[in-house]
Order: sequence, then structure tokens, then C-alpha cells
Amino acid sequence: MGEALNVMESVRSIVFKESENLEGSATKIEGYDFNKGVNYAELFKSMASTGFQAANLGDAIQIVNQMLDWRLSHEQPMEDCSEEERDVAYRESVTCKIFLGFTSNLVSSGVRDTIRYLVQHRMVDVVVTTAGGIEEDLIKCLAPTYKGDFSLPGAVLRSKGLNRIGNLLVPNDNYCKFENWIIPIFDQMYEEQIKEKVLWTPSKVIARLAKEINDETSYLYWAYKNRIPVFCPGLTDGSLGDMLYFHSFKKGDPDNPDLNPGLIIDIVGDIRAMNSEAVHAGSRKTGMIILGGGLPKHHVCNANMMRNGADFAVYINTAQEFDGSDSGARPDEAVSWGKIRGGAKTVKVHCDATIAFPILVAETFAAKRKELSHIRCQV
Amino acid sequence: MSDEEHHFESKADAGASKTYPQQAGTIRKNGHIVIKNRPCKVVEVSTSKTGKHGHAKCHFVAIDIFTGKKLEDIVPSSHNCDVPHVNRTDYQLIDISEDGFVSLLTENGNTKDDLRLPTDDNLLALIKDGFAEGKDLVLSVMSAMGEEQICGIKDVGPK
Repeated sequence: MGEALNVMESVRSIVFKESENLEGSATKIEGYDFNKGVNYAELFKSMASTGFQAANLGDAIQIVNQMLDWRLSHEQPMEDCSEEERDVAYRESVTCKIFLGFTSNLVSSGVRDTIRYLVQHRMVDVVVTTAGGIEEDLIKCLAPTYKGDFSLPGAVLRSKGLNRIGNLLVPNDNYCKFENWIIPIFDQMYEEQIKEKVLWTPSKVIARLAKEINDETSYLYWAYKNRIPVFCPGLTDGSLGDMLYFHSFKKGDPDNPDLNPGLIIDIVGDIRAMNSEAVHAGSRKTGMIILGGGLPKHHVCNANMMRNGADFAVYINTAQEFDGSDSGARPDEAVSWGKIRGGAKTVKVHCDATIAFPILVAETFAAKRKELSHIRCQV
Repeated sequence: MSDEEHHFESKADAGASKTYPQQAGTIRKNGHIVIKNRPCKVVEVSTSKTGKHGHAKCHFVAIDIFTGKKLEDIVPSSHNCDVPHVNRTDYQLIDISEDGFVSLLTENGNTKDDLRLPTDDNLLALIKDGFAEGKDLVLSVMSAMGEEQICGIKDVGPK
């Protein structure tokens, strides 16, 4: 009888194993109560306690706010730092350096305008994108992109001269306008290369195109005006590359590349400039906000490896990690490479950035616009 | 050879235009085109329709009709290309001088002495051997954009 009781007791202890108390140490899950009326600020705040990707977006909002709030004055001065670095006002003025990376589809989408807002108000310090992330911004200044449908058949669209990007449509005519606009600029740049010995890099080409487009709806225009570097090591992988290919027939001589190589764009100059952005961040912390995967994601992370890793990282993408591609890798993989610091604040939001990013910006950069305008203009 | 070559009597030095414009999209294989200021014969044309790369384009691979050098160009298909006037004239060979020039008999009975023997080995051998054997030879001379070159031979047999 006593033995049977013992057995029952041990079974009980297995089935009803006593819980660790989470009260006070973990967020209690609850959603927004619409009886309070439609209050978007409160609705977005409730995401952190809703769970799943809403909670990850809530974490992302928190981490970006930490990036924006961080000042050198929050840290103890290093023992070997100079007098100037000990100055309280100086320490209060040193902010987190923010790297923003995004893929080209987001520039095709309306996220372009969110990016423009950030660059226009100097809220980010370094931008990295792909060729489409450059040309789609410029083309939108010449002709609009339209809403279509994911299911539109390719052959029919081809016959109508329409190109599909997800559920967006870009008419061929937009690219013809782009060609008419850009070829004379390449001609000028080529002249400058020959006569003034200008050595072009992708970021210099981008700044030049941004200057020429001279349009306030363009994020590149504001990056040029605010001297925010825009890096694009894959500049030739898009319509821009098509244009450079055609231009090489006009200007270059394949039989005499030493005498006349055509327009030269040096990617080494830019990797030096990009990595310098991380290396020379100095006493600043660095934060990464990366929308989508591929080149922009890796390029931002890789540069931060040069300073032993970023201090904050927010990824927003829907890629999975099981194929081993970096696109789907969680922040922890970058920790193993030294691209993110061990103690860094990180989150990956598994969500289409067209939904998550405007909400993220609304709850961070845009909400803090006034205080940021004092601090970040001087950096 | 296409028709247009025969419509124009202008010799390279006649003061007329050395080239005429033609829309890129209408230039076909075996036609002529000017690439990098050289008269060429087109050996390959590929076209790409209007698309992400912009306007529709024609990609030409062509051979310099005088030097045999391969040249390439890409032109929007609606743009005009320069097309060289290419003429062929036949002259009877009178003499070969020691310095490699030939003496030719023109239609109006004058001599033309400003052309060198061709550099092509086969053609050169045919001309030299035929002349040594005392055959009556007619040489074809191709001219375009101010340049001339012997490009063919016809053996009209001994008289």
C-alpha cells in the first residue's frame, strides 16, 4: 500500500512538475482591446505582448528605439580615452551609427517612401542596396510603377510590354525613359574619367545619378544632399548593368583596353569606404536594420565584422535558414562570424517588410523625429 | 550583294557622301555597316525587343571589308546607322611593278597606278602566277569610304 503511494507520488511529480515562476520576469500575453476605441499607437504597442511575429516586431521596435536613444554618455569613459572624449557634452552628442540595408523589391514598393523619409531627415548613416534599389528609385522619378497581381500570366504581360515585380507592374516604357536619361550622363562621366582622371566607384556613380535626378521624391537625391553614402557592390546586376553593357560598345575598345577601356567603375574603392564606415565608427555603437536578404544583408553584416560586430541588429525578412543561405540566417549565425557582438540586442522579424517596416518606423524614427533632428544633424 | 551598291556611281573621291543612313532594324546579315568608322560586312545580327534594358536593340557582328578585323556594335533598332557605299569595279591588269604596285586599264583608256597588290596570299599567287604566264587578267577593285583594295580576279584567257 505504502509502495503504491510512493509510485503515485513520483508519477505525480513527473506529470505535474512544479513550474518556474514567470510572474514579473516575462511579458504576459495579451492583445489589444478594441473596446478602448481604434488607437493605432496603443494597437502597435500591444504587439509586443501579442506573441509570435507581432511580438518580434514589438522587440524590433524596442531595439530600434534603443539604437536611437543610445548616447556615449550612457557608457563609462574608457580609462585610456582623451580629455575631449571625457567631455560630457561631447559624450551626449555621440550617437549610434545606423546601417540600413534593403533589397530592390522594397524600392519598387512603397517602402521607398519610408526609406526616403529616413534619409531625408538624416536618421540613418549608411545605406546598402542592390542595383534595383538604385535604378527603381531613379525610374520612379521618370514614370510610375503600378499595382498588378501576383497571378498575371507572364506571356500575356510580355506581349503587352509589362514587367512584373510580385504584384507590381513596370511598363517597358519606363526603362526606355531611363535609358534616354542615363546614357548622356554616362557619356559625361566617361569624359570626366578621361579628362579629369575621375576614378568612379559604385557609390560615386550613385551620388552623381542622384545629383542629376534632382527630385525630392527620390531617396537617393536626399542621400546625396545629406552626404549619406549609398553602397551597391552589385551595381551592374540590373537595368543599370544593361545600360553599362550597351555603353561599353559605344566607348570601349575591346582590342585596346589599355588605351580605351570605356567607363571604369572600381568596386575596391567602395569596399574600402564601406568597411571604413564600420572601422571608423570609433566610440559609437553600430546598429543594423536589414530588410530582406541577399547582398544587402551580408554586406552590412560583413562590414560590421571589421569592428568586432554590431551592437544592435534588426532583420526583417521571410527567408528560412535550412538551406544554409545567409538570407535566412538568424542574427545568432552572424554572432558566430563576429559580425554581431555576443551581447548585442538582436531580433529577426519573420514578416514581409512592406507591412513591418512602416510600422517599425512609425513607432521609432518618426515618433522621435523632433529629438532626432537636434542630435543627428550634427553628426 | 544587295542592290543599293549598284545605284551609286560615286567613287570614293567624287565628293559625294561616303555613307548613307539606314535604320538599324532594317540592316540584315550580309549587308554593310560602319562600325568605329570602318566599312564592314555584317556577319551576324541579333535583336532584343524593348524590355528592362530599354529600347529594342540590334547587336551586329561585322568584318572590316578591308582588314578582315571583327567588330561589334549595339544600336537601338529605331536609330539610323551609317552604311558605306561599297563599289566594285573591274579593270584589266597591264603590269605589276617591282615595288608591289599594279598598273590597271580604266574604262576610258587611262591607267590607274595607285593600287598595291593584295595581301591575301591566295589572291596574290593567282595574280602573280597568271601574269607570269601571260594570261589576260581582270581584277575586281572594291572601294568604300575613300579606301580601295583589289579583292578578286577573273581570268579572261589569252587573246
